Amino acid sequence: MKVFGANELLEDVFEKNLCIGCGACTYLCPYFRSYRGKTAILFPCNLTQGRCWAYCPKVEVDLDDLSERFFGRPYEKDPLGFHRSVKISKAGRQVSEGSFQAGGTVSALMSFALSKGYISAAALTDREGLRPVPRLAQSTDDILRCSSSKYTASPTLSALNQAINEGHNQIGVVGTPCQVLAIAQMRSNPMGDKDFSDPVSLVVGLFCTWAVDFREFDAFISERIEGSRITKVDIPPPPAEIMEVYTDNGKIEIPLDEIRELVPNTCSYCTDMTAEFSDISVGVLEGRPDMNTIITRTERGEKIVDEARKEGFLILDDIGKENLEHLIWAAGNKKKRAFIKAKQEGMLNAREEGARCYLRVRPETVEEIIA
Amino acid sequence: MSYLIDNTEGAQYLLMGNEAIARGALEAGAKVVCGYPGTPSSDIIESLAKIAKDMNIYVEWSTNEKVAMEVAAAGSFAGLRSMCVMKQNGVNVASDFLLHLAGSGTRAGMVLVSCDDPGALSSANEGESRFFARLVEIPLLEPGDFQEAKDMIKWAFELSEEIRNLVMVRSVTRMSHASGNVKFGKLPPGDVHAVFKCDGFILDPMEGAVMSLPVRYKHALQQEKIKKAGEIFEDCPFNSYHGPEKPEVLIITSSACNLYSREAIGILGVEDRVGLLKLGTTWPLPPELLKRHLSRTDKILIVEEVLPFLEENVKILAAEMAPEIGIKTFHGKNDGTIPAVGELNPDLVVGALAQIVGIDYKPVPDEYAEKAEGVPTSRAPARELTFCPGCPHRASFWSIHNALQLDGRKGFVCGDIGCYGMATLPCGFSTLKTLHAMGSGGGIASGFGKLGRLGFDQPVLAVCGDSTFFHAEVPALINAVHHNSDFTLVVLDNSGTAMTGFQPHPGLKVSAMGEDVTSVDIAEICRALGARVEIRDPFDLGETQETLNELIEDKAGLKVLILRQICALSPEKKAGKKYDMTIDDEICLGENCGCNKVCTRIFRCPGLVWDKEKMVTRVDDVICSGCGVCADICPEGAIKRKEVA
Repeated sequence: MKVFGANELLEDVFEKNLCIGCGACTYLCPYFRSYRGKTAILFPCNLTQGRCWAYCPKVEVDLDDLSERFFGRPYEKDPLGFHRSVKISKAGRQVSEGSFQAGGTVSALMSFALSKGYISAAALTDREGLRPVPRLAQSTDDILRCSSSKYTASPTLSALNQAINEGHNQIGVVGTPCQVLAIAQMRSNPMGDKDFSDPVSLVVGLFCTWAVDFREFDAFISERIEGSRITKVDIPPPPAEIMEVYTDNGKIEIPLDEIRELVPNTCSYCTDMTAEFSDISVGVLEGRPDMNTIITRTERGEKIVDEARKEGFLILDDIGKENLEHLIWAAGNKKKRAFIKAKQEGMLNAREEGARCYLRVRPETVEEIIA
Repeated sequence: MSYLIDNTEGAQYLLMGNEAIARGALEAGAKVVCGYPGTPSSDIIESLAKIAKDMNIYVEWSTNEKVAMEVAAAGSFAGLRSMCVMKQNGVNVASDFLLHLAGSGTRAGMVLVSCDDPGALSSANEGESRFFARLVEIPLLEPGDFQEAKDMIKWAFELSEEIRNLVMVRSVTRMSHASGNVKFGKLPPGDVHAVFKCDGFILDPMEGAVMSLPVRYKHALQQEKIKKAGEIFEDCPFNSYHGPEKPEVLIITSSACNLYSREAIGILGVEDRVGLLKLGTTWPLPPELLKRHLSRTDKILIVEEVLPFLEENVKILAAEMAPEIGIKTFHGKNDGTIPAVGELNPDLVVGALAQIVGIDYKPVPDEYAEKAEGVPTSRAPARELTFCPGCPHRASFWSIHNALQLDGRKGFVCGDIGCYGMATLPCGFSTLKTLHAMGSGGGIASGFGKLGRLGFDQPVLAVCGDSTFFHAEVPALINAVHHNSDFTLVVLDNSGTAMTGFQPHPGLKVSAMGEDVTSVDIAEICRALGARVEIRDPFDLGETQETLNELIEDKAGLKVLILRQICALSPEKKAGKKYDMTIDDEICLGENCGCNKVCTRIFRCPGLVWDKEKMVTRVDDVICSGCGVCADICPEGAIKRKEVA
């Protein structure tokens, strides 16, 4: 993997508006910080190589390398990424009631992993008003407080980096595909640190088609709710095409087309809907608001899902053929669109000496995907 | 007891020019002296403040220069000799009152001392105050040595009473801050009784109303006064000529340039070829005196600093007298013989004179110049202007910079003159983007804060010092509140007029004379204006930055953050360390990813030094002031602070 430094990160990601504000580069050093949904660089750093660059999911991501490392094979065209199983799920009776989006599968998995000691803390995303706030959860109550989708790009990984700084070494993380990609890069020790040991014990990925820019979303919603307090935000599964914002003064509905205007451009280059480098990925299930779709990818993911089911934290069922086909169709569409766009704009596989690019993946695979 | 009040006639002291001016005021029996601090003028008030009680005089650091001139004028109106003192740009501040005062006239002698700063050694401008004398039609004197600095002040008071108008005396840095022998005169008896007589005929200059109305009458009167001054100047002891009867070249000069010119003539050994007309009365120029000397030769070199004031005025006279004195060739600033900007020195004058008299002389031989140029870069470490160790401004601008970066909307800071003006440089993280006159930060920010409707969406901050706040910031804030302009003012309150030497200001409980006075609360003023006001300690970096971000995001018009921390050099703080600072070499990340020398590369307090061999940071205990702030900068906690027992 090619590793550069903060100056190149500024040039390749910040100046090109590709930063999604995932938080991967923050709290590694005194220079990168997250603030109100955006990543800021406080001062220039002139090191030629840095973790900020190495972890960033928006530059020099070598999908084949990562796939080899985590799944023992090069990156393939499968819209869902490498996986062991796809099922549907919801929280079991061992999980106390929470304000879940859909089936509560993510809260159930994290609660289970924490209660079994598989993880000692979880880097999650809480919310203050509309603002996503990274949290390091260390109890089941903490985990449940962070339940439900935020729909805004959030700097969750700043909680992860701070947890590592504080010495945690068995951390669970719940993240969007871009965040999960950053974690995968972090876990592959790109700086070749001799003392490196993987501090992340469980990665639960969230399905994501896009996220909105928090600052724009905040300004947009503030105009419409006139000081009311937001209690929950939901996008019901298709074909609803609306966002529901619940406030203490009732619910307002906003057409999704208006919300999509607030999606940062960087999401249009994202090839991953289902967080392909997670242990387990979870999303909504069309037509069943009480259930989630759950994809198991790794051995340890499979083990946790299985145990959680056995111990009453998770209820699993088979995904129907139609739902699976729809999932593959949606994920494939996102992947294809993004690869076409990235390729057209020359963001793939830069070959010239010293050239840097967004993604690296075998050209044959790219052709298969966009065919 | 201060030597300045030694009443032995003929006693000789080595005095700084500013002390000589102060002694002159004492010998003249001045009773009211006020000013606003500003290098190179501050020592005059400081010297007099120390002996004010002994000498039964009233000395004041006023809120600003205009107020200082008004307070001094009250002394004159009440029959007391009075003096006001300021630096060159202070005269601009006072100029509105100056215009009207020159029109109304004065009673007891009143002198305005302006200390200009050629080369802007301690200024944000290379302002020229002499034009004010011409502009408002008052006499101007310029001392040419240290004895004159004293004697001329006394003479200026007498002149002021002769013409019943203000007299301006202009010094420059090298006159105010250099020293020379001064022979003392007697101090007058101190009995006075102040009374303002105002019940006489309205136009009576000594008992009527003091005003510049009716304008035509008063203006004509004022012109008679200046004409009279010109006549007196014909025989003034401060104008002198040295040199041959018919020199090849006549140098006309004034002020410190008199000393440079004398030295230049000596160095070139052209005493028999070059004449030196040293003028002490530079406005209005005495025409007969000038005619006499201009008739000596056809080649004139005018040596002066800042603007060609003398040069232009001499040329006007020479043009008028041309039929009698013939056509002259002038050298000076206009033809480039004398540099147009920057200070002069003997070398520059030697160079100019050598060129005119045709002597091949280089004040600095090329070989030497080349060597000299190389020395600082080869032997001395590269340095730039920076805040002192422990300076609260470094911490304040750290937080301001970080708050603006986090905000991410390309916010900036507007400011003015003060140590914090260095925030335009890396020591203040290059945060300050406009720098003009006292209080201009607030005024400019008030303007930016109204541009929202024209598409402007950058956050705007202004900074001012505590003394500046009182001096000129308040009208800008009133403007901002009245027009609902959106910006955040940060008052960098270091408890004194720190840059010029900790002179008191209205926010403090002590006056220039050391008396207890009422302090005026900056926060209360701002609250009364309707601003949201927060007060923080800039050494608490986290809280300061959070507060800043909150204020920047608050769109409720004017917000004020007062960052209160005493200047590291203040007499109260000096030599008192709060913390002993040490570095844990094991933890220091140095140049590695995760830090990359944030303390010595970015924060750059001079108290922190990079150890190139061990690749860790060191504390320079000699200069570290123990503020403890760097411990909060270090990402790894390698900089340790331990409270001094």
